[in-house]
Amino acid sequence: MRFWAVVVRHACRNMLLTWKSQGMTLFTVSLSVLIFSFFYLVYVNALHIGEKLGDDLRLVVYLDEDPSLPLQEEYRHRILKFDQVERIEFISREQAFKRFEHILGPNNDVLTGVPTDFLPASIEVYPVRTLDSLSRIKRFSDYLQTLPGVLKVQYGKEWIERFYAFIQLMRVITLLSGSLLIMTTTFMVAHTIRLTLFARQQELELLRLVGATNNYIRTPFLLEGALQGGIGACCGLGALLVLYNWIALQFAGPNAISLPAFAFFKWPAVVAIIGLSTLLCVVGSFSAIRRFLHL
Amino acid sequence: MNPESSPPPTVIDLIKVSKVYPPNIQAVSDVSLTITKGEVVFLTGMSGAGKTTLLRLISRMEKPTKGMVDVAGMDVSKLSERDIHLLRRKVGMAYQDFRLLPERTVAANIAIALEVVYCPRSLIEKRIRELLEQLDLMRKYNTRAGELSRGEQQRVSIARAVANNPEIVLADEPTGNLDAETTARVMALFEHLHRKGSTLLIATHDRALFQNTSHRVIELRFGRILSQSRAEGSDDDLFELAPSLLEEIEP
Repeated sequence: MRFWAVVVRHACRNMLLTWKSQGMTLFTVSLSVLIFSFFYLVYVNALHIGEKLGDDLRLVVYLDEDPSLPLQEEYRHRILKFDQVERIEFISREQAFKRFEHILGPNNDVLTGVPTDFLPASIEVYPVRTLDSLSRIKRFSDYLQTLPGVLKVQYGKEWIERFYAFIQLMRVITLLSGSLLIMTTTFMVAHTIRLTLFARQQELELLRLVGATNNYIRTPFLLEGALQGGIGACCGLGALLVLYNWIALQFAGPNAISLPAFAFFKWPAVVAIIGLSTLLCVVGSFSAIRRFLHL
Repeated sequence: MNPESSPPPTVIDLIKVSKVYPPNIQAVSDVSLTITKGEVVFLTGMSGAGKTTLLRLISRMEKPTKGMVDVAGMDVSKLSERDIHLLRRKVGMAYQDFRLLPERTVAANIAIALEVVYCPRSLIEKRIRELLEQLDLMRKYNTRAGELSRGEQQRVSIARAVANNPEIVLADEPTGNLDAETTARVMALFEHLHRKGSTLLIATHDRALFQNTSHRVIELRFGRILSQSRAEGSDDDLFELAPSLLEEIEP
């Protein structure tokens, strides 16, 4: 207990001693966290939207004739050989007709006299709704096209491809902003800790001479890094929340365009971002200690 | 067996210790020295005789080039950086160059030695006041160390060295900048520590400090022990400098 009281006191003293660079570091960490969390928020929500849109996602494989049971098994086997799917449904010509009739509802009298087998038989393939399966959907479609007896394969090509491209772009931007976060936090924190180490060099030497342990000397600097990371992340996320609320306010109201289900981070994600930032700053602090603090 | 009859344990043991600074400066040469618990030893000699180097070797500020340094049961030259604090907590050292933090107050400078051993705040306050009273520095409690005179700085350095009642006190020219009255106060403090069982090794070239002492006086010259002498006297009149003053200020 006494140890931590001393460590906290020393860390606070360090931060006061180099308050200008501490402020700069805090600002940089906050900005990096804001940039990273902004893109991550967009990415997470895009994934979420993708999942919702994916509820209707299916590949319809039109066949030249109703497949017999052994052929159905053969199709099923070949489809599962390529990729895992949620389910496979075989629609006979008659079932297709009934569906169409049902869709037409009260206007189904237009089908009077039309043969019940005028629609082709088909296989409806429901892929697993993950980003990976989305990325493979075109290849899946091309594969299905090669199966015997297949006339045509249909899926919402355009939106899926565009959406997948968007998700890919967001993924790259999030990774880049994550790298920015890693570099800036570790570099800035290491730089600030280095300044503190130089400012307190005389005292650190003295502490060593009067019997301070390595932990007694090092821990305040690690705590300083952790505080910079933690506080910086809280400020960055706070700024993002303000921005999020402001945007939500702009889209609120009866005449406004409604935002799709766009939500802020859940608590575990918030804790993870703060934890990650804190960890990175501790790493930065640790690297500075290793390089510049010679005990 | 009567415990009083058993000899006091050795706390500092130097065996054929040499220290060579680059390029080839022989600071200490083949010094062997044994100091027992509770002993007071004066180390004297001209400037450059190796007094400070010897103290630095004992406090592990330097590693010997040759020989063995054993302090409080620890082989100092084999002591790892990680464990060095174990030695430093047993050895209090008053440095010739004081090593104070000029921007910190007198109290804060002394508190450092107590904070590293996690002494409670109330005890730190009490101990600082006690030491400042003894060294006549109470009025400087909140003064920055950088604003003190050299004599005052020296006393603060001594106060810090003895603050946590170390087993061994090493003092490098502790009275070099002090007048007779203040010297007496410092020696009274050392006597008090000695009575409490501390071992003292005082490096000085002020002959007045050990002229009338019954303690061992070791003279160094060119890094070697030139002579060891023990003056006549009893344990009750160890520090005979300004005795009337000592009586007044003795704690």
